[in-house]
Amino acid sequence: MSDELGRALDRISRVRGMRGSMWVSAEDGIPVAQLLMEGVSGKAVAALAASLVRKISGTAGAVGAGRVRFVQMEAAGGTLLAALAPPDLLVVALADSRVNIGLARIEMMRAAAAVAP
Amino acid sequence: MAEDIRSLTAALARDPSSLVYAELAEALRRRGQRDEALRIALHGLARHPQHVHGHDVLARIHADLGDLDRALLAWSKVLELWPGHPGALKGVAFVRFRQGDVVAAAAALEQVLALDPTDAAARRALETVRRGAGAVGAPAALPVAPAPAEAQPALEAGEAGAQERPAVFSGFDRATADILLLDERGLVLAGGLAGADGADVSELAAAGLAGVSGEAKRTGEYLSLGAWRTLVAEAETANLVVAPAGEGALLLVRRDRSMPVGLALRFAERARGTASAWLEGQGA
Repeated sequence: MSDELGRALDRISRVRGMRGSMWVSAEDGIPVAQLLMEGVSGKAVAALAASLVRKISGTAGAVGAGRVRFVQMEAAGGTLLAALAPPDLLVVALADSRVNIGLARIEMMRAAAAVAP
Repeated sequence: MAEDIRSLTAALARDPSSLVYAELAEALRRRGQRDEALRIALHGLARHPQHVHGHDVLARIHADLGDLDRALLAWSKVLELWPGHPGALKGVAFVRFRQGDVVAAAAALEQVLALDPTDAAARRALETVRRGAGAVGAPAALPVAPAPAEAQPALEAGEAGAQERPAVFSGFDRATADILLLDERGLVLAGGLAGADGADVSELAAAGLAGVSGEAKRTGEYLSLGAWRTLVAEAETANLVVAPAGEGALLLVRRDRSMPVGLALRFAERARGTASAWLEGQGA
């Protein structure tokens, strides 16, 4: 894991309620780097997050909302977050329901901006 | 319509081997009698297995019933019998778009335009599909297709305009331009969505959202997050909030970027309450 990517994950993982964060290839949903709590499947998180982002991005494009930058899916038992880091990466985070989404979002967007060309 | 169905039924009764079965099935489909339409179409095709129009009608019935795989199969049969059949190509585009395969949807529409560059509706549909494909993760480099033109039957499948839909969200800001209620098969129930050019894109949005809902459900299950409650997408010009709105229904709210996400969520929550109450009133 490159230092830069690793440092970003470390910052994100310090947000309360965070169960893990990772860099994912946006196109194929393959993990690039990860920092996850035990029991969290990085491959599953990466694949599902990338697929979800692809789907909602398609809808956003179709309704004229433009390119998606950040996605959050809240569920009964936690939250999945994804920030797009163009051209081809996603920063993905999995958190429990106590997470401060605003803070997580700031860290994730900062991470995404840091790797932008 | 009822008169048409009566006369077509009588014609078919007089000559059961007649090709009029396809017209009857189509009339029944348009009237919403899909099971009866399916029965008539299958019966007719058993007698006329090479009847292009019959397969086309069958595909539309399957699409209305939400059986996309069978619809695709029927439209593929049409294309086998009549390569380049524009209705079938549009049908394939419709199914592929609903399945989230924007590349295949665009390819089918490009074939339509290659055959008839004056098909304006196909061109509009292609532009919409490409906008959907332009997002991260989706293939960005779709080939540039030919020129302009007009109507696009298959992508419309459920052509009611926003003005014909139940006014469930009256009282909400942009009730028929930014709030859409659909079912899990991707069929519009109420509200409406306008595209950047003002055109109604409700059907396309609903078709795409059916896939999003399934993906969110799968994600919640696989990651042991439980049932999903909301999905928010912050995009360049607008924020989208998607949420389940009662048994089998889904709500999409689009809000301008100037509205904070938290406020958009509250707005969506209000709309969801309204939608749920309306659905309960419908016995849904």
